[in-house]
Amino acid sequence: MKPPLLESPVCAVKKAALSDIENRMIQTNKKILCCDLGQIEYKVALRLQHDIVLCIIDGSIDHPLLLFLEHPPVFTLGKNKGRENLIVPESFLKEKNIQIIPIERGGNITYHGPGQLVVYPIINLHQTALSVMEFVDGLEKVMIRTAGDFGIRTERNKKNHGVWIGPNKLGSIGIAIRRGVSFHGLAMNINNSLAPFSWIHPCGLEGVSMTSLKKEIGNELNMKQVKDSMKRHFSVLFEFTLEEIDRTVFNQMILNKQKNESRLQRENHNKKTIMA
Amino acid sequence: MKEISELNLPEDIRYTKTHEWAKKIGKTIKVGLTDYAQNQLGDIVFVELPKIGESFSKGDEFGNVESVKAVSEIYMPVGGEVVAVNQELESTPELVNQNPYSEGWLIELKPTHPAEWDALLDKAAYLVELKG
Repeated sequence: MKPPLLESPVCAVKKAALSDIENRMIQTNKKILCCDLGQIEYKVALRLQHDIVLCIIDGSIDHPLLLFLEHPPVFTLGKNKGRENLIVPESFLKEKNIQIIPIERGGNITYHGPGQLVVYPIINLHQTALSVMEFVDGLEKVMIRTAGDFGIRTERNKKNHGVWIGPNKLGSIGIAIRRGVSFHGLAMNINNSLAPFSWIHPCGLEGVSMTSLKKEIGNELNMKQVKDSMKRHFSVLFEFTLEEIDRTVFNQMILNKQKNESRLQRENHNKKTIMA
Repeated sequence: MKEISELNLPEDIRYTKTHEWAKKIGKTIKVGLTDYAQNQLGDIVFVELPKIGESFSKGDEFGNVESVKAVSEIYMPVGGEVVAVNQELESTPELVNQNPYSEGWLIELKPTHPAEWDALLDKAAYLVELKG
């Protein structure tokens, strides 16, 4: 049976070369390294993402990564818009010690907080032969199927990407693409408080309210079960063999890169000093 | 989406591996996104371009396009100074989808090193890239 993502209305350019793509996938053993980072400050995770993107671009990490995490309360703005959709004074957020961070992803203002599942797939889309549209479509499917595992039927909405239960939004998508490498990703409301979403027009849409799996089901969910479900669907839909790495291995991988960078910076500095 | 054979890839322009096109207009070079790029990205809802007078090297990010929840960086085919930007895209970014080689152009630049032009791909070489 062909994988569902490639069966769906996909880029015909890719369709024409499907067997080639499939062959290449088999040859390159599509493996994705998956790491659960637990709760992590937004800016720290952002720095990590930037480092990983650089590593993938320069080839020092030769596999895509799938990061699972939660953020402490934070609002983020899309590259090109968002602040106008904050409907409380910024001082109100300051009092609550919640930052607003403008970032380079697509989409509008959104909220992240504990209990919300955030997933950052950092993938070279060119190498995996996925168009941007296919990738976004696949991320939606991952969320739809994950919700389905918990008995919740979700759908797409013409108003906005992401996944919806009627007029209420359950999960959002926002990605950025740098030299073919996609980063940022999806955020799905699981057990998180929905109150902070009432301080904004989520995704820049008025009259939209957010929901969570907890709200729909009526009780708190086991986050590990949700993550396992999402990992399984990600792996099937995008045809990746998922290899879990623990935090220590992940840290070591990134730390090595950062050490190399500072070594290079030192060397460059020394070179400049010598030249001067 | 389009098959490769359906893509509009004019003969009289050059291409980059990152899917920009470049066209010589006298001493300046006009730059845009290829039909393949706009097709892959989907409906473009926002285009961020540099200011006139800014200079970039070959391969530098000079702006971005936003489509379907994705912001994609766009890169200089050759180094140079920006001498014109397509102001129309501010209100009608969809021109990049509709007419990527005419009304949907992005910037016009004065090249710093005209020889960089020679390293750009012609249609045949770009097609090889697309077919992977």
